[in-house]
Amino acid sequence: MPPAPELELIRGTLDLLILKTLSWAPMHGLAVLRWIEHATMEQLQIEEGALYPALHRLEQRGWLDAEWGYTDAGRKAKFYRLSATGRRQLTAELTRWSRYTNAVGLLLSAEPVP
Amino acid sequence: MTRAGKRRAFHLPASHRRLQNVVDEELQFHLDGRIDELIAKGMTREQAEAEARRRFGDMDIYGREAAAIDERILQEQRRMDILDTLSRELRLGARSLLRSRGFAATAILTLALGLGATTAIFTVLDAVVLRPLPYRDADQLMEVTSPVSKFKGDTLWRLARHEMFYFKDNARTLSDIGVYQSGEVTVLGEEVSGKPAERALDAHVSASLFDVLGFRPLKGRLFTPDDNHVRQATVVILGERYWQRRFGSDETILNRVIQIDGYPMTVVGILPASAQLPDEIVDIWTPAHVDPAMPPMNNHTWSAIARLKPSTTAAEAQTELTALTSHLSELFPNGESASFVENTGFHTQVRPLRAVVVGDVMTRALWIIFGSVLFVLLIAGANLSNLFLVRIDARRREMALRTALGAERFHVAMQFLAEGTIIAVLAAFLAVVLAQIGLRLLVVAAPSGLPRLSEIHLTASGIGFAIGGALVAAFILGMLPLAGGSALDIALLREGGRGLTTSRGRQIVRGALVISQVALSLVLLTASGLMVRSFNNLRAVKPGFDPAGVVTMHVALPEATYGKSYERTSTFYEQLAERIGHLPGVKAVGFSEKIPLASSNLCTGVMIEALAIGDCPPTSIISPGYVEAMGIKVNGRPLAWSGMNARSGDMMVSQAFSDRIWPTQSAMDKGVRLMGKGFFHVSGVAADVLANGFDQPPVALVYFPMLPTADSFLYGVPTYTNMVVKTVSGDPLKLTPAIGKLVSELEPQAAIANVQTMDALVAKSMSKRSLTMMLLGIAAAMALFLSVVGLYGVISYIVAQRQSEIAIRMALGAQMAQVGRMVVGQSMLLAGIGVVIGLVAAFATTRVMTSLLFGVSPADPVLMSLAALVLLLVSALAGYGPARRAARVNPADAFRTT
Repeated sequence: MPPAPELELIRGTLDLLILKTLSWAPMHGLAVLRWIEHATMEQLQIEEGALYPALHRLEQRGWLDAEWGYTDAGRKAKFYRLSATGRRQLTAELTRWSRYTNAVGLLLSAEPVP
Repeated sequence: MTRAGKRRAFHLPASHRRLQNVVDEELQFHLDGRIDELIAKGMTREQAEAEARRRFGDMDIYGREAAAIDERILQEQRRMDILDTLSRELRLGARSLLRSRGFAATAILTLALGLGATTAIFTVLDAVVLRPLPYRDADQLMEVTSPVSKFKGDTLWRLARHEMFYFKDNARTLSDIGVYQSGEVTVLGEEVSGKPAERALDAHVSASLFDVLGFRPLKGRLFTPDDNHVRQATVVILGERYWQRRFGSDETILNRVIQIDGYPMTVVGILPASAQLPDEIVDIWTPAHVDPAMPPMNNHTWSAIARLKPSTTAAEAQTELTALTSHLSELFPNGESASFVENTGFHTQVRPLRAVVVGDVMTRALWIIFGSVLFVLLIAGANLSNLFLVRIDARRREMALRTALGAERFHVAMQFLAEGTIIAVLAAFLAVVLAQIGLRLLVVAAPSGLPRLSEIHLTASGIGFAIGGALVAAFILGMLPLAGGSALDIALLREGGRGLTTSRGRQIVRGALVISQVALSLVLLTASGLMVRSFNNLRAVKPGFDPAGVVTMHVALPEATYGKSYERTSTFYEQLAERIGHLPGVKAVGFSEKIPLASSNLCTGVMIEALAIGDCPPTSIISPGYVEAMGIKVNGRPLAWSGMNARSGDMMVSQAFSDRIWPTQSAMDKGVRLMGKGFFHVSGVAADVLANGFDQPPVALVYFPMLPTADSFLYGVPTYTNMVVKTVSGDPLKLTPAIGKLVSELEPQAAIANVQTMDALVAKSMSKRSLTMMLLGIAAAMALFLSVVGLYGVISYIVAQRQSEIAIRMALGAQMAQVGRMVVGQSMLLAGIGVVIGLVAAFATTRVMTSLLFGVSPADPVLMSLAALVLLLVSALAGYGPARRAARVNPADAFRTT
């Protein structure tokens, strides 16, 4: 457990992280979480339980498909897979996200004109 | 059951609890994974569990949130499933109906016909009988009248002014009471605008009537009690339509003075078009002279409407008014003296206004007609069921196969439900169109006597009725294949299995449907036959006058100038009769206060000379020429202008009056006094006139001349009367412009109105019967037609089913004629059973028509046998076609098909 400063997740970002994560491969909830931890070098603070309502909500919107299956260790788990509409949604979200961070970045790096 | 889809990759469990369990399992998997991970990193199990839980957060909340989402997903899926199934079945159904267009068209037309007729009649029933009158809280409105049963049978007198005030002040069951008299006035011509003088429908009202009926002015004000306290009113309120028609909706009309009957009256308000008297149109409202300060008089001429206090019943008001009426003779000896009450049986009657407006006979007639179209709908339904049964039979094997392959019974039924729904929806649509057309025709063609005619439109409730009926039909049709379940019998799949037993069960159902069709048709045929007989009997009655070529109209002279002189008024009429008599085609002209079938025949007190007794016959003030124009036969001398102008005092009585007063003597030269001192003397006895209707007893009329003798007078100068013109050629209504021209040449401020032929009045007096006859006739014709179609269909089907059996019979030597007889016999057997049941049903039900019948008993044996014969004949005809087909069966077929 590195006592590194943890970042609070900006609202709505979790959906994007889940979609992006699942774009690599179908996974169960825990695997999604592990991937997020790994990829962000454990800098994001997520209450783990919050992942599940988010997953189910994405499923309700039709962006994810869900299916029970077995892990390599032979345990029964619920796997999520990005659907075609989910993939389109991810593309749109990514564009929006980069425009957003760009804009914020521009402001933060701007200096008053003399 | 082949629904593929991404969301169906796994089945969401159905119940709430199971949903929660699945979510819990998912979360538990997460926790367990974490715990293993943490233990691997060196934690003890306890530490690992605590840490995993801390990281996870509140498991309960997250779990429930996720489960709630799953539940919504599930609901959505179910909805989609149902919509999917529905749209698929509807598509399938539509496709299969398109393949058999003949079946579809027949089914849709049959149902639409039945539903359309029922919807149209339901709409009429709803508008006329069921819907409240168009007033606020209309069920609180009561008509108050004074029956004088010992005196004049069911004649109703109205209220006297002092009675109204007495009830208004003392009746605690009534919140208010108002009175009115309706009639006509002449709105004088205006030189400035060039508008001609014209008659307008007017109501004299008490200010309280507006409160009772809940009227609010569109403009200006309504009347106040002060307006009612003057003898000659000076203010007037216009109806919205009249204001539009006569004054072009002129906004400056308020406070303008218009001349009515020669009196200047100031317009103080406009009432909206919706504000009308019950079933009566009013152009102009004027304040009646009803003042509590006026002395009580025995003058019961004011129509009264009262409003009950909330949560009071008509019966309570009746009890209270009866009690109050018993004090009238003490309080108003000049109004209702004790002897008057004793002799006449005078009392007060409270009736719901709606019942009065619509009338018992009309209500009954409409319910009977509604019942008859429901019969037609049932017959149409039976036909439809038969069509469906045939269709189901034809597809038994297909359905059995589907069942065998695992389709649920429900899903097989779904298919028929879908077909039924498509047919029902299309039929409902067509039915609404048919009903709309039917209603237009009805309103145009029918009945001047039908109350609330203007309120009849196809409304939401009518359309709802059609759709509701269609849905019920769809449901029944959808359930048909499940009934008995035989169609889904897998046993049918056995080799050559023809399910003979099940088909026999079906045969019975089909036969029963046809039998009930025939029975219902017989009831309707009998009912319409009874109406035709009644109507013919009525038409054959001799009414005592000759309506052919006779036209009548109101003629009114301005009261202010003519109202004081009998001579001046009489001279005007004489000159007018003289001039109109010269028009081409005119045979006779006369004037009469009362017109048969149009005027109410209330009575007037008279004194008989030698007998020194009083009597109360209906009286009519007539001119010479009237009996000739109306075609009333007279024994003795008819009135003549010369005699009347010489004040001869000649009068006439009707045969009925003569028979009552002088049963053993001749009425000639007997004296009768109306008012004043002098007696008139009978110069002729007029034939009886059925003035109250062809089905009513004759009216014992007494005719006084319009010019009284020097020492007697009438109850008023007849400035307002009816002109009767007898013509011999062409349409008498074509004379109207010429007559109007002669009238205004003679007196520019005179007006004519309400032109109608006696033929029209006769037709109107029979309108309830003719309407019932027409509609029952249509219903019976539809029933007969649909029954024949049904019978034909069933017999054809039976013949087709028995084709091989018939072939065998013929191979064994049966003659064509024998086979034909067998088939026709089968048709007539079904019809015969139906006829027997129908006769019993007709016997039991036609009694409800008694009040509509005339000169025929509801159980008329001739009519019933005739109806039975007609049905047996058509059933033989219906069997004839299939019989020919059966007879042509080739015996060799016996060995090919099976």
